[in-house]
Amino acid sequence: MKNRIEKIRSERGIRQDELAKLMGVSRQTISSLENGRYNPSIMLAHKIAKYFGMTIEEVFFFEEE
Amino acid sequence: MYNNKRLALSIFWVVLGVTLVGLSFAEVLDSSLYSGMGGALAAVGILQIIKNLKYRNNPVYREKVDTEVSDERNRFLRMKSWSWAGYIVVLVEGVGVIVAMVLGQHMIQMILSYSVCLIVFVYWLSYLILRKKY
Repeated sequence: MKNRIEKIRSERGIRQDELAKLMGVSRQTISSLENGRYNPSIMLAHKIAKYFGMTIEEVFFFEEE
Repeated sequence: MYNNKRLALSIFWVVLGVTLVGLSFAEVLDSSLYSGMGGALAAVGILQIIKNLKYRNNPVYREKVDTEVSDERNRFLRMKSWSWAGYIVVLVEGVGVIVAMVLGQHMIQMILSYSVCLIVFVYWLSYLILRKKY
């Protein structure tokens, strides 16, 4: 699963550690999400999307391998 | 994370450790194993008490620990590590059974075989319980 977290975060001028703190996760989790090494739970995906004022589909998208 | 229950347990480890070391030095227990074990227990207990007190008195450290413990990626990694550990132990023991059989070490072969059976049984039991839970 791919996502646009890094792009949206950069556009809004939020640092990884700031986003991590707001989401209640570690900075490494945000980094792994952005690199596509880790897929979030539906709860975290929802939380991130809600924070950005978007739907989950707008932030995360499934791409066939 | 570090609550009173954990603090009490840490104090218990220290008391148990010091008791074992004391009994070992008084030659009530006649093995260096007990003094070593006691020392290790006391050290772990003291370390846990220090961490517990730091957690209570330092809000930055508390937040860091709470985030690390509740972080979903960390939880995933812990679960995955246990899974890998289980697989590796079964594989190593499986190889050990064959090696012990070739070398004619029947006692070791039997112990390793029972151990593999126990792990597989625990896995099967866990699967049955989790299947009902989720």
